[in-house]
Amino acid sequence: MYPLFTTGSIDMNSNLLYGLIIGALFGVVLERTGFGSSKHIVPVFYFKNLKVSHTIVSAIITCSTLIVIASYNGWIDYNQIFIPDTYVWPYLVGGVLFGGAMVMSGWCPGTAVVGFASGKIDAFVFILGLLSGMYFYFDIYDQIADFANSGYLGRFTIDKLVGGDLYTSSYLITILLGAFLAIFMNIMKLIRDKKEKI
Amino acid sequence: MNQKDGYWHPLVAGVILGVVLFISFMVAGQGMGASGAFARITAQLSYLYDSAFAQNSYAAKYLTKGNALANWTVVEVFGIFLGGYISAMLAGRIKQSIDRGDDYPVYKRLIWSFLGGFIMAGATRLARGCTSGQALDGAAAFSAGTWIFMLAAFGTGFMLAPLFKKQWKNIG
Repeated sequence: MYPLFTTGSIDMNSNLLYGLIIGALFGVVLERTGFGSSKHIVPVFYFKNLKVSHTIVSAIITCSTLIVIASYNGWIDYNQIFIPDTYVWPYLVGGVLFGGAMVMSGWCPGTAVVGFASGKIDAFVFILGLLSGMYFYFDIYDQIADFANSGYLGRFTIDKLVGGDLYTSSYLITILLGAFLAIFMNIMKLIRDKKEKI
Repeated sequence: MNQKDGYWHPLVAGVILGVVLFISFMVAGQGMGASGAFARITAQLSYLYDSAFAQNSYAAKYLTKGNALANWTVVEVFGIFLGGYISAMLAGRIKQSIDRGDDYPVYKRLIWSFLGGFIMAGATRLARGCTSGQALDGAAAFSAGTWIFMLAAFGTGFMLAPLFKKQWKNIG
């Protein structure tokens, strides 16, 4: 029965070892996609090159399809898959700050690790900013704790929002949202390419 | 599988990434993350500098179980570094450089990098994760809340992009 770790099939040390391997695979995929450089990340915000959005959408659809198959067949206990609890207002404000910081710096925490590994000095400086920012957040946490924990909805999956179950509403809406995002990006790129020609 | 520019096609890369993410869920019960590791590194460094930091109202949760770095996400992020390094090395892409648009001053680029990192740290704490641990993992595992984060982040990125046009001139 899966997940191996949460169901007690492997111990903490093996889990960490597999974590190292999974991280390494993640690092290889990020690097091979081009995410070790801001030059391949930022253009998504100008609808120039859709690597970021298309990789994310294709990964989401692939993984959610596998989860649905594995869960339907009883191979994995979906309830033991970790999903961050939803906090509506912090997610909204966090998302706004995150998006702004991403176009400002050209990095996000995962890609910056690959950028740093590939010798990007801006990625290293970004990581220093990230560490300092963490300290700042810890320092002011008492003042913002109420807000940071507002709008709490727990393990808020799509079927809890719209009804149905994992195999119908959750899966279908995920596919639709992914397709919407990918198509929206393609349309914006077409508009942009047309403008460029004129 | 490689495109003209030497990188994988994004849709193919996405399928591989989705499979790796699925393996992560099957083994560890959680998906890949990144920002949590940086929060833990900061907590551990602050604690080493001053042990009173263990009382910090946010970071205490990382420090009560011993070393904040003895954690799956921290080890996994170390893996990202190793994998990224090996892959870049094999592709001959390791080079000390600074990504920026044509003619953009280096010092300005580094200021934006630092400031962006500084702001993003708090953003990931509020949002309980980043592009990996929140957006990718949450969306793949059917979290509704993830889409609030994802749409807010992408939407703001598009809206603020014109402000940073010079920094990214002629890239991509």
